[in-house]
Amino acid sequence: MSSLNKKLILAFLFIFMLGSFGFYIIDKATKSRIDNIGIIGKVPSFSLTNFDGTVVTEKQLNDKISIISFIFTQCEGACPIMSENISTLQERFASSGDIQFLSITTDPDYDTLDILNEYSSNYSNKNNWFFLRGDILDVIELSEKGFFLSAALLPAGHSTRLVLVDKELNIRKYYEGTVESNIFELQSDIVTLLNQG
Amino acid sequence: MANKLFFRSALISTILSYLLIFVGGLVRVSGSGLGCPDWPKCFGRWVPPTSIEQIPAHIDPTAFNIVLAWIEYGNRMLGVIVGFSIIIMTVIAVLYFRNNSKILYSALWSLFLVGANGGLGAIVVSSVLNPFIVSLHMILALFLVSVLSYGTIESYKLINLNKFSNILLSKKISISLIALWGLIVIEILLGTGIRTNIELIAIDNPLYSKGQLLDALNSYKYLHSVLGFSLLFLSIYLCYLFRDDFLGLSKQLIYFIFGMILLQIFLGELMIFFELPQLTRLFHTWGSSWLVGIIIILYNTLQYEQS
Repeated sequence: MSSLNKKLILAFLFIFMLGSFGFYIIDKATKSRIDNIGIIGKVPSFSLTNFDGTVVTEKQLNDKISIISFIFTQCEGACPIMSENISTLQERFASSGDIQFLSITTDPDYDTLDILNEYSSNYSNKNNWFFLRGDILDVIELSEKGFFLSAALLPAGHSTRLVLVDKELNIRKYYEGTVESNIFELQSDIVTLLNQG
Repeated sequence: MANKLFFRSALISTILSYLLIFVGGLVRVSGSGLGCPDWPKCFGRWVPPTSIEQIPAHIDPTAFNIVLAWIEYGNRMLGVIVGFSIIIMTVIAVLYFRNNSKILYSALWSLFLVGANGGLGAIVVSSVLNPFIVSLHMILALFLVSVLSYGTIESYKLINLNKFSNILLSKKISISLIALWGLIVIEILLGTGIRTNIELIAIDNPLYSKGQLLDALNSYKYLHSVLGFSLLFLSIYLCYLFRDDFLGLSKQLIYFIFGMILLQIFLGELMIFFELPQLTRLFHTWGSSWLVGIIIILYNTLQYEQS
Protein backbone atom coordinates (compact mmCIF):
# COMPACT_ATOMS: atom_id res chain seq x y z
CA MET A 1 0.00 0.00 0.00
CA SER A 2 1.36 3.42 -0.91
CA SER A 3 2.01 5.93 1.83
CA LEU A 4 -0.63 8.26 0.40
CA ASN A 5 -3.31 5.59 0.71
CA LYS A 6 -2.22 4.87 4.26
CA LYS A 7 -2.48 8.55 5.13
CA LEU A 8 -5.93 8.77 3.54
CA ILE A 9 -7.17 5.79 5.53
CA LEU A 10 -5.78 7.29 8.72
CA ALA A 11 -7.44 10.62 7.92
CA PHE A 12 -10.81 8.95 7.31
CA LEU A 13 -10.46 7.00 10.56
CA PHE A 14 -9.69 10.20 12.41
CA ILE A 15 -12.68 12.03 10.90
CA PHE A 16 -14.90 9.04 11.68
CA MET A 17 -13.72 9.07 15.29
CA LEU A 18 -14.33 12.81 15.57
CA GLY A 19 -17.81 12.33 14.10
CA SER A 20 -18.61 9.57 16.57
CA PHE A 21 -17.32 11.73 19.39
CA GLY A 22 -19.49 14.63 18.20
CA PHE A 23 -22.53 12.37 17.91
CA TYR A 24 -21.95 11.02 21.41
CA ILE A 25 -21.59 14.51 22.92
CA ILE A 26 -24.67 15.89 21.15
CA ASP A 27 -26.71 12.88 22.28
CA LYS A 28 -25.44 13.24 25.84
CA ALA A 29 -26.30 16.95 25.87
CA THR A 30 -29.83 16.26 24.61
CA LYS A 31 -30.42 13.57 27.27
CA SER A 32 -28.97 15.77 30.01
CA ARG A 33 -31.62 18.40 29.29
CA ILE A 34 -34.35 15.88 30.08
CA ASP A 35 -32.52 14.59 33.18
CA ASN A 36 -32.01 18.15 34.35
CA ILE A 37 -35.73 18.80 34.75
CA GLY A 38 -36.40 15.92 37.10
CA ILE A 39 -39.46 15.86 39.33
CA ILE A 40 -39.00 17.98 42.48
CA GLY A 41 -42.43 17.65 44.05
CA LYS A 42 -46.17 17.69 43.48
CA VAL A 43 -48.40 20.77 43.38
CA PRO A 44 -50.84 20.54 46.35
CA SER A 45 -54.53 21.28 46.05
CA PHE A 46 -55.47 24.97 46.14
CA SER A 47 -58.43 27.18 45.40
CA LEU A 48 -57.93 30.77 44.23
CA THR A 49 -59.97 33.32 42.31
CA ASN A 50 -58.99 34.55 38.87
CA PHE A 51 -59.31 38.25 37.97
CA ASP A 52 -62.46 37.49 35.99
CA GLY A 53 -64.11 35.99 39.07
CA THR A 54 -63.79 32.32 38.15
CA VAL A 55 -62.42 29.89 40.72
CA VAL A 56 -59.16 28.22 39.75
CA THR A 57 -58.00 25.04 41.48
CA GLU A 58 -55.10 22.67 40.96
CA LYS A 59 -57.32 20.85 38.41
CA GLN A 60 -56.62 23.74 36.03
CA LEU A 61 -53.03 22.46 35.84
CA ASN A 62 -54.06 19.09 34.41
CA ASP A 63 -52.73 18.46 30.89
CA LYS A 64 -51.02 21.85 30.67
CA ILE A 65 -47.46 22.98 31.15
CA SER A 66 -47.73 25.77 33.72
CA ILE A 67 -45.38 28.59 34.70
CA ILE A 68 -46.26 29.83 38.16
CA SER A 69 -45.10 33.03 39.84
CA PHE A 70 -45.81 35.14 42.92
CA ILE A 71 -46.22 38.90 42.38
CA PHE A 72 -48.20 41.92 43.59
CA THR A 73 -49.33 44.88 41.54
CA GLN A 74 -47.79 47.67 43.65
CA CYS A 75 -44.36 46.00 43.51
CA GLU A 76 -41.88 48.22 41.72
CA GLY A 77 -38.72 46.17 41.74
CA ALA A 78 -38.77 42.63 40.48
CA CYS A 79 -42.43 42.11 39.53
CA PRO A 80 -42.57 44.34 36.44
CA ILE A 81 -39.47 42.58 35.07
CA MET A 82 -40.92 39.16 35.90
CA SER A 83 -44.26 40.01 34.31
CA GLU A 84 -42.53 41.45 31.27
CA ASN A 85 -40.52 38.22 30.89
CA ILE A 86 -43.64 36.07 31.30
CA SER A 87 -45.39 38.28 28.76
CA THR A 88 -42.56 37.59 26.28
CA LEU A 89 -42.89 33.84 26.89
CA GLN A 90 -46.68 34.07 26.45
CA GLU A 91 -46.17 35.73 23.11
CA ARG A 92 -43.51 33.27 21.95
CA PHE A 93 -45.62 30.22 22.83
CA ALA A 94 -48.90 31.80 21.72
CA SER A 95 -49.54 29.16 19.06
CA SER A 96 -49.47 26.33 21.60
CA GLY A 97 -52.59 25.42 23.52
CA ASP A 98 -50.55 23.38 26.00
CA ILE A 99 -49.01 26.22 27.98
CA GLN A 100 -50.45 28.49 30.65
CA PHE A 101 -49.25 31.02 33.19
CA LEU A 102 -50.39 31.61 36.77
CA SER A 103 -49.44 34.71 38.76
CA ILE A 104 -50.56 34.70 42.38
CA THR A 105 -50.73 37.99 44.28
CA THR A 106 -49.05 38.22 47.65
CA ASP A 107 -51.03 41.36 48.49
CA PRO A 108 -54.70 40.29 48.28
CA ASP A 109 -55.76 43.20 50.51
CA TYR A 110 -54.84 45.76 47.88
CA ASP A 111 -55.05 43.57 44.76
CA THR A 112 -58.78 43.27 44.25
CA LEU A 113 -60.12 41.47 41.20
CA ASP A 114 -60.51 44.84 39.47
CA ILE A 115 -56.91 45.80 40.07
CA LEU A 116 -55.70 42.37 38.95
CA ASN A 117 -57.85 42.75 35.85
CA GLU A 118 -56.19 46.06 35.05
CA TYR A 119 -52.73 44.63 35.76
CA SER A 120 -53.50 41.69 33.50
CA SER A 121 -54.40 43.95 30.59
CA ASN A 122 -50.96 45.58 30.88
CA TYR A 123 -49.08 42.34 30.28
CA SER A 124 -51.30 39.57 29.01
CA ASN A 125 -52.46 39.22 25.41
CA LYS A 126 -54.12 35.82 25.62
CA ASN A 127 -56.53 34.12 27.99
CA ASN A 128 -53.95 31.56 29.14
CA TRP A 129 -52.54 33.77 31.90
CA PHE A 130 -54.39 33.70 35.22
CA PHE A 131 -53.92 36.42 37.82
CA LEU A 132 -55.08 34.88 41.06
CA ARG A 133 -55.92 36.05 44.56
CA GLY A 134 -56.96 34.26 47.71
CA ASP A 135 -56.71 34.40 51.47
CA ILE A 136 -53.22 35.61 52.44
CA LEU A 137 -52.70 32.64 54.78
CA ASP A 138 -53.55 30.25 51.95
CA VAL A 139 -51.13 32.05 49.65
CA ILE A 140 -48.33 31.83 52.23
CA GLU A 141 -48.96 28.13 52.74
CA LEU A 142 -49.09 27.48 49.00
CA SER A 143 -45.83 29.36 48.47
CA GLU A 144 -43.90 27.83 51.36
CA LYS A 145 -45.28 24.32 51.61
CA GLY A 146 -46.59 23.83 48.08
CA PHE A 147 -43.80 25.34 46.03
CA PHE A 148 -40.99 25.46 48.64
CA LEU A 149 -40.61 29.22 48.06
CA SER A 150 -40.01 31.65 50.91
CA ALA A 151 -42.91 33.96 51.74
CA ALA A 152 -41.69 36.01 54.68
CA LEU A 153 -42.58 39.70 55.12
CA LEU A 154 -45.27 39.76 52.44
CA PRO A 155 -46.10 41.33 50.12
CA ALA A 156 -42.56 42.45 49.22
CA GLY A 157 -40.85 39.32 50.53
CA HIS A 158 -42.27 37.01 47.89
CA SER A 159 -39.93 34.84 45.88
CA THR A 160 -38.95 36.10 42.42
CA ARG A 161 -38.64 32.59 41.03
CA LEU A 162 -40.76 31.09 38.32
CA VAL A 163 -41.92 27.51 38.79
CA LEU A 164 -42.17 25.09 35.88
CA VAL A 165 -44.95 22.52 36.39
CA ASP A 166 -45.59 19.67 33.95
CA LYS A 167 -48.88 18.22 32.71
CA GLU A 168 -49.06 15.78 35.63
CA LEU A 169 -48.76 18.57 38.23
CA ASN A 170 -45.13 17.76 38.98
CA ILE A 171 -42.86 20.65 39.93
CA ARG A 172 -39.93 20.33 37.50
CA LYS A 173 -37.62 23.32 37.97
CA TYR A 174 -37.20 26.87 39.29
CA TYR A 175 -35.95 29.92 37.38
CA GLU A 176 -34.95 33.37 38.57
CA GLY A 177 -37.71 35.45 36.98
CA THR A 178 -35.55 38.55 36.55
CA VAL A 179 -32.47 36.94 34.98
CA GLU A 180 -32.35 36.79 31.20
CA SER A 181 -30.24 33.63 31.01
CA ASN A 182 -32.73 31.86 33.30
CA ILE A 183 -35.62 32.84 31.04
CA PHE A 184 -33.59 31.51 28.09
CA GLU A 185 -33.20 28.24 30.01
CA LEU A 186 -36.90 28.13 30.88
CA GLN A 187 -37.81 28.61 27.23
CA SER A 188 -35.69 25.67 26.09
CA ASP A 189 -37.00 23.52 28.98
CA ILE A 190 -40.59 24.25 27.90
CA VAL A 191 -39.67 23.09 24.39
CA THR A 192 -38.07 19.94 25.87
CA LEU A 193 -41.25 19.19 27.86
CA LEU A 194 -43.46 19.85 24.83
CA ASN A 195 -41.38 17.50 22.67
CA GLN A 196 -41.75 14.80 25.30
CA GLY A 197 -45.52 15.04 24.84
CA MET B 1 17.16 24.15 13.35
CA ALA B 2 15.13 27.25 14.21
CA ASN B 3 13.23 26.76 10.94
CA LYS B 4 12.20 23.27 11.91
CA LEU B 5 11.32 24.37 15.43
CA PHE B 6 9.05 27.13 14.21
CA PHE B 7 7.44 24.92 11.58
CA ARG B 8 6.62 22.28 14.17
CA SER B 9 5.12 24.74 16.63
CA ALA B 10 3.13 26.46 13.86
CA LEU B 11 1.84 23.10 12.60
CA ILE B 12 0.81 22.04 16.10
CA SER B 13 -0.91 25.40 16.69
CA THR B 14 -2.79 25.07 13.39
CA ILE B 15 -3.97 21.52 14.05
CA LEU B 16 -5.02 22.39 17.60
CA SER B 17 -6.89 25.47 16.32
CA TYR B 18 -8.80 23.32 13.84
CA LEU B 19 -9.73 20.96 16.67
CA LEU B 20 -10.78 24.00 18.68
CA ILE B 21 -13.12 25.10 15.87
CA PHE B 22 -14.61 21.60 15.90
CA VAL B 23 -15.15 21.68 19.65
CA GLY B 24 -16.50 25.25 19.49
CA GLY B 25 -18.96 24.10 16.82
CA LEU B 26 -19.91 21.23 19.09
CA VAL B 27 -20.71 23.72 21.86
CA ARG B 28 -22.96 25.65 19.48
CA VAL B 29 -24.87 22.71 17.99
CA SER B 30 -25.34 20.97 21.33
CA GLY B 31 -26.57 24.22 22.88
CA SER B 32 -23.98 24.16 25.66
CA GLY B 33 -22.87 27.78 25.39
CA LEU B 34 -24.41 28.69 28.73
CA GLY B 35 -23.12 25.52 30.41
CA CYS B 36 -20.99 27.82 32.56
CA PRO B 37 -22.90 31.01 33.43
CA ASP B 38 -19.70 32.86 34.45
CA TRP B 39 -16.35 33.44 32.75
CA PRO B 40 -13.50 32.46 32.91
CA LYS B 41 -14.43 30.26 35.86
CA CYS B 42 -17.32 27.81 35.75
CA PHE B 43 -19.80 28.30 38.61
CA GLY B 44 -17.04 30.09 40.49
CA ARG B 45 -14.60 27.19 40.17
CA TRP B 46 -11.52 26.54 38.04
CA VAL B 47 -12.62 22.94 37.79
CA PRO B 48 -16.33 22.78 36.91
CA PRO B 49 -18.54 21.34 39.65
CA THR B 50 -19.49 17.68 39.41
CA SER B 51 -22.41 17.96 41.81
CA ILE B 52 -24.85 20.70 42.74
CA GLU B 53 -23.42 20.89 46.31
CA GLN B 54 -20.15 22.30 44.95
CA ILE B 55 -21.78 25.45 43.60
CA PRO B 56 -20.96 28.47 45.80
CA ALA B 57 -23.87 30.18 47.54
CA HIS B 58 -23.69 33.43 45.57
CA ILE B 59 -24.23 31.69 42.22
CA ASP B 60 -27.71 30.60 41.26
CA PRO B 61 -27.64 26.83 40.61
CA THR B 62 -30.75 26.88 38.38
CA ALA B 63 -28.83 26.52 35.16
CA PHE B 64 -26.49 23.82 36.43
CA ASN B 65 -26.22 20.89 34.04
CA ILE B 66 -23.05 18.91 34.53
CA VAL B 67 -22.91 17.70 30.91
CA LEU B 68 -23.33 21.13 29.36
CA ALA B 69 -20.89 22.66 31.86
CA TRP B 70 -18.14 20.22 30.88
CA ILE B 71 -18.78 20.61 27.13
CA GLU B 72 -18.46 24.40 27.44
CA TYR B 73 -15.45 24.09 29.71
CA GLY B 74 -13.81 21.66 27.29
CA ASN B 75 -13.92 24.42 24.67
CA ARG B 76 -12.34 26.88 27.10
CA MET B 77 -9.61 24.45 28.17
CA LEU B 78 -8.70 23.62 24.58
CA GLY B 79 -8.69 27.37 23.93
CA VAL B 80 -6.13 27.82 26.70
CA ILE B 81 -3.99 25.02 25.24
CA VAL B 82 -4.13 26.71 21.81
CA GLY B 83 -3.19 29.98 23.50
CA PHE B 84 -0.09 28.46 25.09
CA SER B 85 0.86 26.76 21.85
CA ILE B 86 0.69 30.10 20.03
CA ILE B 87 2.65 31.85 22.78
CA ILE B 88 5.45 29.30 22.32
CA MET B 89 5.29 29.82 18.56
CA THR B 90 5.51 33.60 19.02
CA VAL B 91 8.47 33.30 21.37
CA ILE B 92 10.32 31.24 18.75
CA ALA B 93 9.41 33.81 16.08
CA VAL B 94 10.63 36.73 18.18
CA LEU B 95 13.86 34.94 19.10
CA TYR B 96 14.87 33.64 15.68
CA PHE B 97 12.79 35.35 12.99
CA ARG B 98 13.01 39.07 13.75
CA ASN B 99 14.23 39.58 10.20
CA ASN B 100 11.59 37.41 8.53
CA SER B 101 8.51 39.60 8.54
CA LYS B 102 6.24 36.85 7.10
CA ILE B 103 6.99 34.52 10.00
CA LEU B 104 7.16 37.22 12.68
CA TYR B 105 3.90 38.91 11.73
CA SER B 106 1.97 35.69 11.26
CA ALA B 107 3.00 34.70 14.79
CA LEU B 108 2.16 38.09 16.29
CA TRP B 109 -1.20 38.23 14.48
CA SER B 110 -2.16 34.74 15.66
CA LEU B 111 -1.26 35.73 19.21
CA PHE B 112 -3.47 38.81 18.93
CA LEU B 113 -6.34 36.87 17.33
CA VAL B 114 -6.31 34.04 19.84
CA GLY B 115 -6.30 36.54 22.73
CA ALA B 116 -9.06 38.64 21.19
CA ASN B 117 -11.20 35.59 20.54
CA GLY B 118 -10.71 34.36 24.08
CA GLY B 119 -11.95 37.73 25.33
CA LEU B 120 -14.85 37.59 22.89
CA GLY B 121 -15.73 34.24 24.46
CA ALA B 122 -16.46 36.12 27.69
CA ILE B 123 -18.82 38.44 25.80
CA VAL B 124 -20.51 35.44 24.17
CA VAL B 125 -21.43 34.21 27.65
CA SER B 126 -22.41 37.60 29.08
CA SER B 127 -24.56 38.37 26.02
CA VAL B 128 -26.61 35.22 26.74
CA LEU B 129 -25.45 33.75 23.40
CA ASN B 130 -26.38 36.66 21.16
CA PRO B 131 -26.28 34.97 17.73
CA PHE B 132 -24.31 37.87 16.19
CA ILE B 133 -21.57 37.63 18.79
CA VAL B 134 -21.49 33.82 18.58
CA SER B 135 -20.98 34.13 14.80
CA LEU B 136 -18.30 36.77 15.25
CA HIS B 137 -16.53 34.36 17.62
CA MET B 138 -16.52 31.79 14.80
CA ILE B 139 -15.36 34.28 12.16
CA LEU B 140 -12.41 35.39 14.32
CA ALA B 141 -11.48 31.72 14.64
CA LEU B 142 -11.47 31.47 10.83
CA PHE B 143 -9.09 34.43 10.67
CA LEU B 144 -6.90 32.71 13.24
CA VAL B 145 -6.60 29.47 11.26
CA SER B 146 -5.98 31.50 8.09
CA VAL B 147 -3.03 33.30 9.65
CA LEU B 148 -1.76 30.09 11.25
CA SER B 149 -1.99 28.22 7.94
CA TYR B 150 -0.02 31.02 6.32
CA GLY B 151 2.68 30.86 9.01
CA THR B 152 2.85 27.09 8.71
CA ILE B 153 3.28 27.00 4.93
CA GLU B 154 5.80 29.87 5.00
CA SER B 155 7.96 28.00 7.50
CA TYR B 156 7.48 24.73 5.61
CA LYS B 157 8.95 26.43 2.57
CA LEU B 158 12.04 27.37 4.58
CA ILE B 159 12.84 23.73 5.31
CA ASN B 160 11.72 22.23 2.00
CA LEU B 161 13.25 24.58 -0.52
CA ASN B 162 13.82 21.86 -3.12
CA LYS B 163 10.16 20.84 -3.28
CA PHE B 164 9.06 24.21 -4.60
CA SER B 165 11.56 24.88 -7.37
CA ASN B 166 11.11 25.23 -11.16
CA ILE B 167 7.35 25.67 -11.21
CA LEU B 168 5.70 28.64 -12.85
CA LEU B 169 2.56 30.33 -11.62
CA SER B 170 0.32 31.79 -14.29
CA LYS B 171 -1.74 34.87 -13.78
CA LYS B 172 -4.86 32.87 -14.57
CA ILE B 173 -4.25 30.50 -11.68
CA SER B 174 -3.36 33.29 -9.31
CA ILE B 175 -6.54 35.25 -10.05
CA SER B 176 -8.72 32.12 -9.96
CA LEU B 177 -7.33 31.10 -6.59
CA ILE B 178 -7.73 34.56 -5.08
CA ALA B 179 -11.29 34.66 -6.42
CA LEU B 180 -11.99 31.22 -4.98
CA TRP B 181 -10.75 32.27 -1.55
CA GLY B 182 -12.65 35.56 -1.59
CA LEU B 183 -15.86 33.90 -2.74
CA ILE B 184 -15.53 31.23 -0.06
CA VAL B 185 -15.19 33.93 2.58
CA ILE B 186 -18.37 35.56 1.20
CA GLU B 187 -20.04 32.15 1.14
CA ILE B 188 -19.09 31.61 4.79
CA LEU B 189 -20.48 35.04 5.72
CA LEU B 190 -23.72 34.17 3.93
CA GLY B 191 -23.87 30.81 5.71
CA THR B 192 -23.16 32.49 9.04
CA GLY B 193 -25.90 35.01 8.25
CA ILE B 194 -28.35 32.18 7.64
CA ARG B 195 -27.41 30.50 10.91
CA THR B 196 -27.60 33.79 12.83
CA ASN B 197 -31.04 34.54 11.42
CA ILE B 198 -32.31 31.03 12.10
CA GLU B 199 -31.24 31.37 15.72
CA LEU B 200 -32.78 34.84 16.05
CA ILE B 201 -36.06 33.60 14.56
CA ALA B 202 -35.96 30.49 16.76
CA ILE B 203 -35.59 32.58 19.94
CA ASP B 204 -38.76 34.50 19.12
CA ASN B 205 -40.56 31.44 17.74
CA PRO B 206 -39.52 28.46 19.85
CA LEU B 207 -42.30 26.32 18.39
CA TYR B 208 -41.23 26.66 14.74
CA SER B 209 -40.34 23.48 12.89
CA LYS B 210 -37.26 23.29 10.67
CA GLY B 211 -39.41 23.92 7.62
CA GLN B 212 -41.01 27.00 9.14
CA LEU B 213 -37.62 28.36 10.17
CA LEU B 214 -36.33 27.96 6.62
CA ASP B 215 -39.47 29.60 5.22
CA ALA B 216 -39.03 32.56 7.54
CA LEU B 217 -35.54 33.26 6.16
CA ASN B 218 -34.92 35.92 3.57
CA SER B 219 -34.43 34.90 -0.02
CA TYR B 220 -30.67 35.23 0.31
CA LYS B 221 -30.65 31.65 1.57
CA TYR B 222 -30.82 30.74 -2.14
CA LEU B 223 -27.78 32.91 -2.78
CA HIS B 224 -25.83 30.58 -0.47
CA SER B 225 -26.78 27.58 -2.65
CA VAL B 226 -26.16 29.39 -5.94
CA LEU B 227 -22.75 30.62 -4.81
CA GLY B 228 -21.97 27.14 -3.53
CA PHE B 229 -22.47 25.65 -6.99
CA SER B 230 -20.48 28.50 -8.59
CA LEU B 231 -17.61 27.63 -6.26
CA LEU B 232 -17.83 24.03 -7.42
CA PHE B 233 -17.46 25.09 -11.06
CA LEU B 234 -14.60 27.42 -10.21
CA SER B 235 -12.79 24.58 -8.45
CA ILE B 236 -13.37 22.30 -11.48
CA TYR B 237 -11.82 24.99 -13.66
CA LEU B 238 -8.84 25.17 -11.30
CA CYS B 239 -8.44 21.38 -11.41
CA TYR B 240 -8.28 21.78 -15.18
CA LEU B 241 -5.63 24.51 -14.93
CA PHE B 242 -3.55 22.30 -12.65
CA ARG B 243 -3.94 19.28 -14.93
CA ASP B 244 -0.30 18.64 -15.87
CA ASP B 245 2.41 21.17 -15.18
CA PHE B 246 2.55 21.04 -11.42
CA LEU B 247 4.18 18.92 -8.78
CA GLY B 248 2.16 16.47 -6.74
CA LEU B 249 1.48 18.65 -3.73
CA SER B 250 -0.34 21.46 -5.53
CA LYS B 251 -2.35 19.00 -7.56
CA GLN B 252 -3.36 17.03 -4.49
CA LEU B 253 -4.41 20.23 -2.77
CA ILE B 254 -6.65 21.43 -5.60
CA TYR B 255 -8.32 18.01 -5.87
CA PHE B 256 -8.81 18.13 -2.13
CA ILE B 257 -10.43 21.57 -2.43
CA PHE B 258 -12.74 20.30 -5.16
CA GLY B 259 -13.70 17.32 -3.00
CA MET B 260 -14.33 19.53 0.03
CA ILE B 261 -16.62 21.86 -1.92
CA LEU B 262 -18.56 18.87 -3.24
CA LEU B 263 -18.85 17.49 0.30
CA GLN B 264 -19.98 20.90 1.60
CA ILE B 265 -22.78 21.08 -0.97
CA PHE B 266 -23.79 17.54 -0.05
CA LEU B 267 -23.84 18.38 3.69
CA GLY B 268 -25.78 21.59 3.03
CA GLU B 269 -28.50 19.74 1.11
CA LEU B 270 -28.53 17.03 3.77
CA MET B 271 -29.30 19.69 6.40
CA ILE B 272 -32.26 20.99 4.43
CA PHE B 273 -33.83 17.72 3.38
CA PHE B 274 -32.95 15.23 6.10
CA GLU B 275 -32.67 14.91 9.84
CA LEU B 276 -29.55 14.58 12.00
CA PRO B 277 -29.12 18.32 11.55
CA GLN B 278 -26.73 18.93 14.45
CA LEU B 279 -23.90 16.64 13.40
CA THR B 280 -24.27 17.73 9.77
CA ARG B 281 -24.15 21.39 10.81
CA LEU B 282 -21.00 20.70 12.81
CA PHE B 283 -19.17 19.19 9.85
CA HIS B 284 -20.52 21.80 7.43
CA THR B 285 -19.05 24.57 9.58
CA TRP B 286 -15.83 22.70 10.17
CA GLY B 287 -15.43 21.94 6.48
CA SER B 288 -15.65 25.64 5.63
CA SER B 289 -12.77 26.38 7.99
CA TRP B 290 -10.71 23.70 6.24
CA LEU B 291 -11.31 25.29 2.84
CA VAL B 292 -10.19 28.72 4.02
CA GLY B 293 -6.91 27.32 5.34
CA ILE B 294 -6.15 24.90 2.50
CA ILE B 295 -6.56 27.57 -0.20
CA ILE B 296 -4.13 29.82 1.67
CA ILE B 297 -1.64 26.96 1.86
CA LEU B 298 -2.05 26.16 -1.84
CA TYR B 299 -1.70 29.78 -2.89
CA ASN B 300 1.44 30.29 -0.88
CA THR B 301 3.12 27.21 -2.26
CA LEU B 302 2.50 28.75 -5.68
CA GLN B 303 3.54 32.26 -4.75
CA TYR B 304 6.92 30.91 -3.84
CA GLU B 305 7.13 29.16 -7.14
CA GLN B 306 6.60 32.42 -8.96
CA SER B 307 9.51 34.31 -7.43
